[in-house]
Amino acid sequence: MVEPMLKIAPEYEKVTDNKNPKMTAKDVSVFYGDNHAVKNISLDLHRDEVTSLIGPSGCGKSTFLRCLNRMNDTITDCRIEGSITLDGEDIYDPKIDVVQLRARVGMVFQKPNPFPKSIYDNIAYGPRIHGLATARADLDEIVTKSLEKAGLWQEVKDRLDAPGTALSGGQQQRLCIARAIAVNPEVILMDEPCSALDPIATAKVENLIDELKGRYAIAIVTHSMQQAARISQKTAFFHMGDLIEHGDTTQIFTAPKEERTRDYITGRFG
Amino acid sequence: MSDHTLSAYDDELNELRSIVSRMGGLAGDQLLGSMQALKERDSEEAQRLREADKELDRLEALAEQTAIGVFARRAPVADDLREVVSALKMTTLIERMGDYAKNIAKRTLAISESHPVVLPQTLETMAETAHRMIQDVMDAYAHRSADAAMDVWESDEVLDNMHNAAYRQILARMMETPDYINVYTHYLMIAKNLERIGDQATNVAEQIYYTITGVVLEEARPKGDTTSTEAVGQ
Repeated sequence: MVEPMLKIAPEYEKVTDNKNPKMTAKDVSVFYGDNHAVKNISLDLHRDEVTSLIGPSGCGKSTFLRCLNRMNDTITDCRIEGSITLDGEDIYDPKIDVVQLRARVGMVFQKPNPFPKSIYDNIAYGPRIHGLATARADLDEIVTKSLEKAGLWQEVKDRLDAPGTALSGGQQQRLCIARAIAVNPEVILMDEPCSALDPIATAKVENLIDELKGRYAIAIVTHSMQQAARISQKTAFFHMGDLIEHGDTTQIFTAPKEERTRDYITGRFG
Repeated sequence: MSDHTLSAYDDELNELRSIVSRMGGLAGDQLLGSMQALKERDSEEAQRLREADKELDRLEALAEQTAIGVFARRAPVADDLREVVSALKMTTLIERMGDYAKNIAKRTLAISESHPVVLPQTLETMAETAHRMIQDVMDAYAHRSADAAMDVWESDEVLDNMHNAAYRQILARMMETPDYINVYTHYLMIAKNLERIGDQATNVAEQIYYTITGVVLEEARPKGDTTSTEAVGQ
């Protein structure tokens, strides 16, 4: 048997498995009417990996993120070209059930948006409508597990009937993450999930993202360079609809290849 | 390179660069001064130079404070991160150059009290070469030239070869005139100091290269110094 030239540590091998991305975007363009908002973006998302999308406002990063679970479908005049696949399956195929897709590709928004329901029902709602559980005991288990995975169980276990909106901002955001997890997603998209949170709540959400990365492919849009550097393994820098640079986060933050990336992350953009 | 949106950030980086440059200039002066004092057996000047080394220590501490301040306030990344990390390393290396120059001054005090023994010409040539390396590497830093830094990096072999020659020459004189072995031992150590100054300049060049390009130069530099491995006089 021929020995491989370079042996890679197993945990690193897992992270850099480029052969089987969870999601693949190929030559994706998004138009709002005549406005070419996202230009020919090709990007893979992998399980076991957090990808940060960074760039100045209006660069197309959130628009691109929203393409990944067809959140742009509802916008009139929005047209998408190119292909996006989940496990090799085209998510824009007319046969795709969009509700099912959004269960597989969950989303967490900038502002925590719990349903005006109890903490319990916030989590149980998704599994119920997706038919993941009907018996109370099964639902209980999903609620418990989801809150545990979101690191919220200890804080809310004695008040599951309290309204989700009664929680603090950071807790609400973790509740939303728990809600996304409850329907067994494969990908979690986060659009500035910490921008409305204080540093302590931010740290808790970041810690949660770090723990979740082993189970899901995660893409996060953030305006915080430091957050991108802290929590992601891959970073993609967008500028005026173009993907300027995409690579290993440490590489991007120590020696970016592109001048525009350098200018942006070092605060030199005029 | 364009400026930061936050101009105070640029001010802090410029301050750090200025400290590094001042230290480079001072280390060069200390080397020239100590070799002059050695040639002239000027113990008064040698003593002054020993004291003057404290300024390099002070600047190194100042650079450290400035760099820590930049880390704390700016959380530097990319070129800025490399700049600050390299500045920290460079100031340590330059301070070490100053220590070698100080050591030459210290030995000058002992030598000037001993019987006059002709200074080997190779030591003067070595000092000139080491001084040029300091100048060239600090020019590379000031002009942000990776090519110029690379030239210094590659030139260290010349100084290493000079050191080999000086080592043999001094050893031969020790054998010829064992009465002056004490002074020659000092000369031997001075030769080593000069060779080490060249090594530090080379390390500074590596830091400059990394700052500019983001590429770490591997340990593939041609090493010419054989004095620690060869047996002489057999």
